[in-house]
Amino acid sequence: MTIKAMQIICLALLAALLVGCPKPPLEGYPSEAEETTTSAEAAEDNPRVAASLQLTDQGRRLVEDRRPDRAIRVLEQAVSLHPGNGQNYYYLSEAWLMKGFADQAKEFNQLAEIHLKDDSQWMIRVAEQADRIAELEK
Amino acid sequence: MIKRLAKYTLLILILGGIALAIYGWHLSVQVEKRFSTRRWSIPSTVYSDTTLLYPGQRMNSSLFSATLSNLGYRRVNSVPSQKGEIRIRTQALDIFLNDLKTPWTERTGFLAQIDFSEDRIGTIRRKDNGETIPILELEPEEIMQFFGQERERRQLISIEQIPEHQIQAVLAAEDHRFFEHHGVDWRGILRAMMTNLRHGAVRQGGSTLTQQLAKNYFLTPERTFIRKLKELILAVIIEFRYGKREILEIYLNEIYLGQKGSVAINGIGEASYFYFGKPVKRLTLSEAATIAGLIKAPNNYSPYRNMARCQSRRDKVLQAMHRWEWITQTELEDALKQPINAVGFKAADKKAPYFIDYLTEQLNSLYRSEDLSSLGLSIYTTLDTQVQMAAEEALTKGLAGLESSNPELQRTAPEDKLQGAVVVMQPKTGHILALAGGRNYSVSQFNRITQARRQPGSAFKPIVYLSSLAQFTPTTLLSNDPKSYTVNGKQWDPQNFEPVTEYTVSLQDALKKSHNLATVDLAMKTGLDRVVDIAAKFHFSTPLKPYPSLALGAFEVIPLELARAYCVFAAEGVQPFPLSLKGVVDENDRILEHQHLNIERIIPPAEAFIMNSMLQGVVKEGTARSLQWRGVTWPVAGKTGTTNDFRDAWFVGYTPDILALVWVGFDNGDPIKATGAAAALPIWADLMNAIPQYRSETQFNIPRGVEKILVCPVTGRPAVDGCPEPVEVYFLTGHTPGGHCPLHAEDGIAGKIIKGVRGLINDD
Repeated sequence: MTIKAMQIICLALLAALLVGCPKPPLEGYPSEAEETTTSAEAAEDNPRVAASLQLTDQGRRLVEDRRPDRAIRVLEQAVSLHPGNGQNYYYLSEAWLMKGFADQAKEFNQLAEIHLKDDSQWMIRVAEQADRIAELEK
Repeated sequence: MIKRLAKYTLLILILGGIALAIYGWHLSVQVEKRFSTRRWSIPSTVYSDTTLLYPGQRMNSSLFSATLSNLGYRRVNSVPSQKGEIRIRTQALDIFLNDLKTPWTERTGFLAQIDFSEDRIGTIRRKDNGETIPILELEPEEIMQFFGQERERRQLISIEQIPEHQIQAVLAAEDHRFFEHHGVDWRGILRAMMTNLRHGAVRQGGSTLTQQLAKNYFLTPERTFIRKLKELILAVIIEFRYGKREILEIYLNEIYLGQKGSVAINGIGEASYFYFGKPVKRLTLSEAATIAGLIKAPNNYSPYRNMARCQSRRDKVLQAMHRWEWITQTELEDALKQPINAVGFKAADKKAPYFIDYLTEQLNSLYRSEDLSSLGLSIYTTLDTQVQMAAEEALTKGLAGLESSNPELQRTAPEDKLQGAVVVMQPKTGHILALAGGRNYSVSQFNRITQARRQPGSAFKPIVYLSSLAQFTPTTLLSNDPKSYTVNGKQWDPQNFEPVTEYTVSLQDALKKSHNLATVDLAMKTGLDRVVDIAAKFHFSTPLKPYPSLALGAFEVIPLELARAYCVFAAEGVQPFPLSLKGVVDENDRILEHQHLNIERIIPPAEAFIMNSMLQGVVKEGTARSLQWRGVTWPVAGKTGTTNDFRDAWFVGYTPDILALVWVGFDNGDPIKATGAAAALPIWADLMNAIPQYRSETQFNIPRGVEKILVCPVTGRPAVDGCPEPVEVYFLTGHTPGGHCPLHAEDGIAGKIIKGVRGLINDD
């Protein structure tokens, strides 16, 4: 066997190890948005989420009734059951705003933004809430 | 002579009268002072959190049963007709809920049906109207009471709450002429004297209720003439100053009625719960007579001590009630036929003692200890008793298992035994759900979660990796080559836990497999000062110095602070303040203290997510992969830790819903000869498997600022079709690896090889 032939065999073996069709980086991977499920969808197959939504609704009503302390307690329970529901953080921020605590309101507003980023309607409300927090901070 | 004698006698009488009047005035002031101020020291009570039940919830049936039992629910065989009763059927539970009252919620008890389907709650419905209930809250559990020196339990009741037959039973048993005398019943005293003379021993006491009250409130128990005289004077003063019903109310709240372990049961209100599990207003005639019969000698006539004596005494009370025409013949006969069904009790064992100690530290900054034992406060906490039971059980079982598998870990002296500690938190709220600061509180009260300072070992590494994210990516290659470092003039040669063949390893693989050399390399490249600065943001209170060994967790931390640090990853970069106290309410239901969820942003959500992603790798393929065959198949992130010479074994694991830290070691630093994966992780798995209600199986939320890229596992660069088994890796936006895999692309090495082969063939 000539040296050239041996070179060919070695290279062929190496090539076999690393075989594949060389193409540009893969595309069409699922986007984050495609992977995200809505709260309602999640509630259907997740009992914790469903129970949490009940508390979220209760918390919302308490915020609307301007009873921030009770609302915070209920919303904290809702967060315990389903930390992924951004509405809880939105209403928690609202309750802290009502109590005049801008720092806490801001943290919850940011959490609301993280969890509601795929819901344009909610994002408008979150942004508007951030403005009100900024006003309070002045 | 007689005249002089009469004169002196008169003088003595006048002086005696004046002295008596002054003394009477002095006692009157005492009575006024005692009765006008707080009459009793009421211990403050600590409660757990409420328990939420909802359809679809997974259940641990044995822990749920324990909760119902601790809440005082009693099993019956028919449909429950009273609050506090349950009927257990196949796949269903009928429960007559107790009233729920916390500072934040109030609900009257009602009859409900809970259907079960395998290990889950199916539906919850009201029995009266069939309405389905989406979420049901069970009342909080009493965890402990802050007693004063008296160690008395008492539930205050007003005279209006006490049914007439209860009052009559007490009067029949103790002082049937109460409404006729003025504090002292001379007829009663004479009758008692005659009886005692006849028997040549003290058989009967002539004390009225008012005298008994005077004795209990103002006097010592010794039997002397002077004390008796004082008692008579005090009784007259009390009667002079207060109305009969007021005296009766004080008496019925004061009287000693038995013993629950080391704690005294005082007053009818507490006794009716202790003996019959219900409020006074719901006591039957027979039960009222039983309680009244106890006053004479509570422990002698207790149904828990001697049922025959108890019944005989009850019968005497009933007969006396009939004799004084307070009950009819029929009522008497009916009551005499009734069995005495005492509900039973468990002597209060210390529940969650380490948690209580931690709570008490916080309460002591708000209240004086004498206030805690006297003001009757209601203290609401974050404790979940089911999680606490599961944590204690998992710890006990885990430590016993380690000792039995390795006899070298066994110690004879209880205080020298292998120790462990567990804390369970909700990462988003900071609520401490359970805390077991040691193996056996009665042996050692040292709280290894809040007071211990231990080296975290590799459990500290996530802080190092986090610190590097601004400069490096999860696929950055690190050196696994042995290197020497000089610390304080001394040479330090870190080593991997096991020999490693790879000279380079990606950042995420180094964390996954907990490589020491690569981690130190990373810390040095990142800058030790930066690591210290980032760690400081996590609120570690123990000193951390910029030494290379910092990267391997050589500086001691407080376990609770380490758990809190991991909360940051689970909670999208915010750190909650660890909460054990939720609120304090006074005896008039006024809220004195409200402690809310308190959070602070520590790192951006995207960085937290990258850490979650890498720490999930630890559980999927790294040092904590054994979790999967221990039944933990849902998304979990975590990190093991083992310190030099196996002195400490750690595992911190979390989901978006729950986080638990487990530590195992000896107090004196003896080696435990096991890694975090072998010693601490199994305890974590047992704990999590025991609390399925906390398992939501949700993924960590993907925030903005994160990109998922398919990369080549060899080069860590964006994959091309030629890359073998490309993997998905999350990167911070702006920190993604550029280009594509140079090794497997056509113009990469592989491509060049193929080109070379083609060239050689063409040459031929």
